[in-house]
Amino acid sequence: MRAILPILLVAACGGDDGGGGVDLTKPVTVPEGPAPTNLSAFNLFAWNGTIEWNPTGDRIAPYDLNTPLFSDYALKSRAVYLPDGTSTAYSADAWFELPVGSVIAKNFLFPADFRAPDQDVTLVETRLLVRRAEGWTAFPYIWNAEQTDAVFAPGGEVRAISFIDAAGAPRTANYLIPQRNQCENCHERAGEKQVPIGIAARHLNWNGQLEDFAARGLLTGLPASAVPAATDFRTIEMNGIAGLSPTQIETAARSYLDINCAHCHRPDAVQGETSQLFLNYDNTDLFRLGACKRPGSAGAGNGGLEFDIVPGNPAESILQFRLETTQVGAMMPLLGRSLSHARGVELVRAWIEGMTPVDCAQQ
Amino acid sequence: MKHWGLACLLFAACGGDDSNEFPTTSCADVTGTCQELPAGDPAALVTAANSIEANTTLVLGTGTFSMTGALTIRTDGAHIIGQGMDETIIDFGQSTAQSNGVDAQSDDFLLQGVTVVDAPKDAVRVEASVGVVLRDVKTTWTTPGDMTNGGYGLYPVKSENVLVEDCVAEHASDAGLYVGQSQRVIVRNNRVQNNVAGLEIENTQYADVYNNTATNNTAGIVVFDLPGNPIVGRDVRLRDNMIIDNNYQNFAPGGTVAVIPSGTGTFAMASRRVEITGNTYQGNKTVDIALISGLVVEDNQVMWELATADLQGRWDDLGLAAGATPNTITNFRQENVLVANNTHMGSGMDPDTGDPFMFGLLLGAAYSGIGPIDSVLYDAIGEPMFSSTDPLMNTNTNRMCVGGNTGGTFGSMNLPAQSTTNIIPFFRPAAPFAPFDCTALANGPVAEVILP
Repeated sequence: MRAILPILLVAACGGDDGGGGVDLTKPVTVPEGPAPTNLSAFNLFAWNGTIEWNPTGDRIAPYDLNTPLFSDYALKSRAVYLPDGTSTAYSADAWFELPVGSVIAKNFLFPADFRAPDQDVTLVETRLLVRRAEGWTAFPYIWNAEQTDAVFAPGGEVRAISFIDAAGAPRTANYLIPQRNQCENCHERAGEKQVPIGIAARHLNWNGQLEDFAARGLLTGLPASAVPAATDFRTIEMNGIAGLSPTQIETAARSYLDINCAHCHRPDAVQGETSQLFLNYDNTDLFRLGACKRPGSAGAGNGGLEFDIVPGNPAESILQFRLETTQVGAMMPLLGRSLSHARGVELVRAWIEGMTPVDCAQQ
Repeated sequence: MKHWGLACLLFAACGGDDSNEFPTTSCADVTGTCQELPAGDPAALVTAANSIEANTTLVLGTGTFSMTGALTIRTDGAHIIGQGMDETIIDFGQSTAQSNGVDAQSDDFLLQGVTVVDAPKDAVRVEASVGVVLRDVKTTWTTPGDMTNGGYGLYPVKSENVLVEDCVAEHASDAGLYVGQSQRVIVRNNRVQNNVAGLEIENTQYADVYNNTATNNTAGIVVFDLPGNPIVGRDVRLRDNMIIDNNYQNFAPGGTVAVIPSGTGTFAMASRRVEITGNTYQGNKTVDIALISGLVVEDNQVMWELATADLQGRWDDLGLAAGATPNTITNFRQENVLVANNTHMGSGMDPDTGDPFMFGLLLGAAYSGIGPIDSVLYDAIGEPMFSSTDPLMNTNTNRMCVGGNTGGTFGSMNLPAQSTTNIIPFFRPAAPFAPFDCTALANGPVAEVILP
């Protein structure tokens, strides 16, 4: 995640408004009704090869997650906007309830060469979650080829994106810009329309981010201590898992599965409930975590294997197979991945390897 | 009537009546908000599907929509109507994204008059929806018998009030036409062919399955519960179906259906209150009807425990056995089944001996030198008494009622005691098959399914 820091931290790069009619001397606006055609209508940020969030009134807090969702190596730049005079209350476990009129913005960027991640960067898409009186609604935007503005794109796109990866190898992702309906695949919960995912203490508690939220007046009730935190994946992304203790590996793997899988694999999700495989970080039922558990109806996804997790044996574990494979029909997560995430695969493999071996067939 | 959208802007024939792109159905035939989408513009279709308000009809023109990703619906009252099966094609063969074909969550959903080709995963998946109609829809993959074909063709799941009629489902690597974890279902006048499981009713309550044709699948029509699902299947009626020559090789890449022997007409597993009546079974080389316990696929009874607090639908009148864990029930038992008035011809002649559970191997050995395998087989799991010869020394505590089947014979397998190296002769009574000669389900016949 070092790659994203220059983008986040560069501020006030000059007077250019970044095109598209954005004017950072004016406040953010959140139009009522259907999605505006152009993203610039929100006046959220300027884009000139770096992202400059609107500083007006100090209503926007950029943020990063401890462990992020893997999206074919896309770099992400996130921020949350709260309307004037509003704030959100801290919660240790639940998502922060944001007031009506709030916007969560997430930019997806690809540098031409990940060894120089702040150069020759393409901003591919911007996803907004907008808090209306009736609940959250999703507005996806795709950036134009000139990189001057983004256009509301409910139909999404599948785009081949080529880049040089951090090891210098050429890669091409079949990158999914989700359809608007597909936002619900991750953001829907049983009985609710949509919910944000990352706006929670354990994801945000990193490098003074929550304190920054509080200092801007956006967050109230932040305790001085005992704030939960997911594993900071940045060091694993850079250095791998060498030197991590078994406990650290377990915690990191659970954080990784939580953010990458538990939007579906949780008891109150719509699509993943059927599998009875629950990968939320606070699931303490080892069987429902997959240990010696046969899949519900994995079909082609099982890779010829019998159990979700065979403790001590990642090669015999369906979970490991589905995380690692790039075979269409078998990949997990269902959406948003066409490449294998080397560091994530390595971490989960080490976690399963470190479990006390069990002969599941004899259970 | 409200017309809008690209089609109406670009084409003079907005009503569609004199357009050759909308010869069968146009917005003129539809009440309420409607949008016409000519074939050849998949982007417009996807944009429309992601932009519609509730209770909108999308009429699809004649021709092919070559999709790059799923056709998703997340709006209630979405009706998608093509110009007829084989006239309007939604083709996912060029789709590079891992996704289903038609992927809908929509109360009052209709999909009609289209063919869905080569979906990367399931062809038509409708989930968590109340009021689902799939009519005159074909789901297919262009390469027969390919284990990389999508798992399911027509796949309404976790839904209520489901009608599937006049459809064709073929070449699915799991089940062609599946209805699962659903309540109140009618499946009629469909054809399923060259799938692993042709037509599958799983963990479903109140299903009426009639006038369907299942041919050239690995297994024709199957009814079962899987362990761990909060809907206990019940009240399923298979009647007046044609279940013929289901001898296709098993090309499932995994899952429960991968263990089914080729040549299976119907199996009912871990299900209850099932009526199999008036069907025609013919040329299924292993067996026409197998009635088996869920313990055959999962012998750990703990896996079959369901917390009563989690159960959905009606179960309190089923007398389900309690699990070892407090406040649980189990549903592995196969019980309370009526198999009557079916016609059997030419089946059980050549059992598939390659299935991983060695079921076919057992049958081959057990019937070696005897003749065709009996039309209806019962595993007798859970029966306290079994005798190969004496009807009075067999029990029927699971209430298998078998009789009145033209050309139909019956065998009880005593499966728990069998091994392929030591075959105990099956109990093969002459009609009327006492003690399996009851003629009706306990607690009344299967309830009639009435969709609102």
